[in-house]
Amino acid sequence: MSEHKPRKTTEKKVPKAFGWMAEYQDENSLLAAARKVRDSGYTKTDAFTPFPVHGIDEALGIKPTILPFIVLCAGITGLSTALLMQWWMNGVDYKYIISGKPFGITPASIPVAFELTVLFSAFTTFLGMIALNQLPKFSNPVFTNPRFDRATNDRFFLYVEAADKYYNRESVKELLGGTHPDSLDEVLEDTTPSALPRPIILGAILLVIAGLIPAMIILNIRAGYSTAPRFHVFFDMDFQPKKKAQQTTTIFADGRSMRPQVKGTVGRGQLEEQDSFYLGYDPAKLTAIDTLETGKFVSLQDSKTADGSAAKPAADGSAQTPAAPAAALNLPWIDKLPIEVSEANMALGKQKFETYCSACHGYAGFGDGLVHKRADALAQGYWLAPTSLHVDKVRTQPVGQIFHTITKGQGKMASYASSLNPKERWAIVLYVRALQKSRNADMSEVPADMVKTLDEVK
Amino acid sequence: MNLNYEKSSIELPEAWRAKAPFFLAAGVILLMLGFLCAFGGNSNGEDNSLGFRYLCHSYLANFVYVFTFTLGALFFILVQFLTRAGWSTSIRRVAEILMMMIPYLGLLFLPIIAMLFWGSSALYEWNGKNIHNSVIASKASFYLSKEFFTARTVVYFTFWILTANWFFRISRAQDESGDAELSLLRQKWAGPLIMLFSLSASFAAFDWLMSIDADWYSTIFGVYLFAGSQMSFFAMMIVINMLLQNAGKIQKLVTVEHFHDMGKFLFGFVMFWSYIAFSQLVLIWYANIPEETFWYQVRLDNGWMTFSYCIIPIHFIIPFLFLMSRHIRRNRTALTIGAVWLLFAHWYDMTFLVMPNAGPAQLVPLFGHLLGGFGMLSIFASMFIWRADGVPLVAMRDPRLPEAMSYTNPIL
Repeated sequence: MSEHKPRKTTEKKVPKAFGWMAEYQDENSLLAAARKVRDSGYTKTDAFTPFPVHGIDEALGIKPTILPFIVLCAGITGLSTALLMQWWMNGVDYKYIISGKPFGITPASIPVAFELTVLFSAFTTFLGMIALNQLPKFSNPVFTNPRFDRATNDRFFLYVEAADKYYNRESVKELLGGTHPDSLDEVLEDTTPSALPRPIILGAILLVIAGLIPAMIILNIRAGYSTAPRFHVFFDMDFQPKKKAQQTTTIFADGRSMRPQVKGTVGRGQLEEQDSFYLGYDPAKLTAIDTLETGKFVSLQDSKTADGSAAKPAADGSAQTPAAPAAALNLPWIDKLPIEVSEANMALGKQKFETYCSACHGYAGFGDGLVHKRADALAQGYWLAPTSLHVDKVRTQPVGQIFHTITKGQGKMASYASSLNPKERWAIVLYVRALQKSRNADMSEVPADMVKTLDEVK
Repeated sequence: MNLNYEKSSIELPEAWRAKAPFFLAAGVILLMLGFLCAFGGNSNGEDNSLGFRYLCHSYLANFVYVFTFTLGALFFILVQFLTRAGWSTSIRRVAEILMMMIPYLGLLFLPIIAMLFWGSSALYEWNGKNIHNSVIASKASFYLSKEFFTARTVVYFTFWILTANWFFRISRAQDESGDAELSLLRQKWAGPLIMLFSLSASFAAFDWLMSIDADWYSTIFGVYLFAGSQMSFFAMMIVINMLLQNAGKIQKLVTVEHFHDMGKFLFGFVMFWSYIAFSQLVLIWYANIPEETFWYQVRLDNGWMTFSYCIIPIHFIIPFLFLMSRHIRRNRTALTIGAVWLLFAHWYDMTFLVMPNAGPAQLVPLFGHLLGGFGMLSIFASMFIWRADGVPLVAMRDPRLPEAMSYTNPIL
């Protein structure tokens, strides 16, 4: 190491000259000098200023760059790439219906085309600028002059390169000297040793080795075998002090972590199960009726809520359990609406009926909804039509039974209890009653002030 | 910079002054001819006759067409002070004069207000007595009542006129004193005022243009009109500056660099308008729900289809490609051609926004509408001459004028 340095200094050759650099106090002197140099025919020139100087391009005689044309070509390429790609993907190779839109190039392709045009153009502008300026350059001989540091602060420099085809050392010196520069220096090759200092090399090697450690650990774990339990990073998340469903516990005598309901209490949301407003029939009266039938009904209800499939026989009216449909029909239905007969409830009922019921039962309740029409056309006779609400069977039902049908479902009709709260179900019952009335009323039932309106409609 | 300049070089050309009454007369005659054409074979004398609908819609479209130049000028002035721009100092006064035409042009809005109070629903369906469309009826009860509409319009105009007057007064005061503080004062207020401006311009677009289809809405509509307004303003600026220079005025003060920069803005706003117009279209196209798509359906039915599709090349493709090169933007003739083309494109855009609502595309009323557009431009020219009369065309004592004179665009 120690023999190295002295040997270099003894070899001391004449540094290569790269050109002349003149220093100025302000941008106007620089512009004047630059014009003079340009008019003398030199083209390999450059200016270094602390801020952008207007008109420097013209003063230096810089030719317009071809970068815009390159960018234009890149933009066109991006545009065509995007359009071709989308046309091919969505129009030819993989036709896929998206929201019923047409295939190929649509308005939806334009944003992609726009983005790719911009992307290609932007990258080309950036990389093209780098390439045309022959960057990156890690060093430039102008940096050898310590005065040049002020180019980023308050001094203006003009540089004429020796590579210029008209370059002559003496005449350029004379020319620049005639522009009254603050200083005029020849740009010389940097003669300081270019070898990296040893500590830096050593540090870099150490860094690279240290960087390999995590990769080594991972490789070791991947390839190795261990009987130790998994390492828990977040211990309190992996082991939480709580019981999950179906687990056992030592806290309670019966060992169950899921607790049964305490006797004599009513759970939240369970109160409604005992009220005719929620049931459609009077539970108090039910106990007074034949206990055998009641028992069958209750068991039917239980199985129904358990899996729902047991409701089928009752609805179909098949002979499997002949008592069940009879029992269902003989419940003590309430026949007075538990909600007020008002304009608001009627509107609510109409709205909910048209949302949930009309799809099958039709807007007027004749069982001719769109689902029915479509299914009838597809099933070609196998489809069982929805019940018309205007048949005698439904018309004579107490309101409680209609409510019960909406709540529990009937035949193919599913339960709507999850979609409609009890009040909404009663409002639908009210609306169904109004629909039925509208088909079966005579003039004597029409209020006197409405008769005239009816006549007008006729 | 020395202030030795020929005072006459920054005054309105003598020959123009005499032409103002002629422009006004020509404008009124052209408007009347346009109205006659609008009626051409379509009138049965009733309020909602097709001819009357053409007339009202054509008037509104042509009014907004010229009004957007001044609105764009107001925004330009605000944004110059907001960004502390120095380059525009020498062209700012012409923009200030354009901005000061808002009160004059406000008078041209009076016929529309009068039509509302006369009870006509030919232009604004919500002003009718029996509104069949429930969506419009629900809005018509309050927001789109003629009283509230008028009140809002008055608020917009008051705000614009006060702002424009304040900026103009200070600018003129600086002509006397050359005080730099006056520039700083305007810079301080440009920020808050530009926010109010964006709200007022957006709502004016909603009220005046979008409420023709009161059951349709597009939240980007205000920006759409703003984009067109800025674009047409720069086109107008280029044309006016060219005409002034051809008349021998402001020749040294407005350089090729200014035209180049105005050309860049023009080019930029062509792109911006297209971006906004497409943003509006693509959302509606994609969602594809009838409440929104019918606005475009109206513009594709009844013979408007060719007209509507032509807006894409006229307002975007042709000017975009034409103005792309810097050589075009630095060439006086070429840039003027581009600017005039875009003045036409903006008229085309206003027609596209308004006229299909009047009725089916018919050649004679559309020709009348074009005559009306020329008429409005002619009236606009007379107003400009009267407003510019006696006002120096460049703010000669603005401390940043030397900056505007010396800057150059880099050679690319």
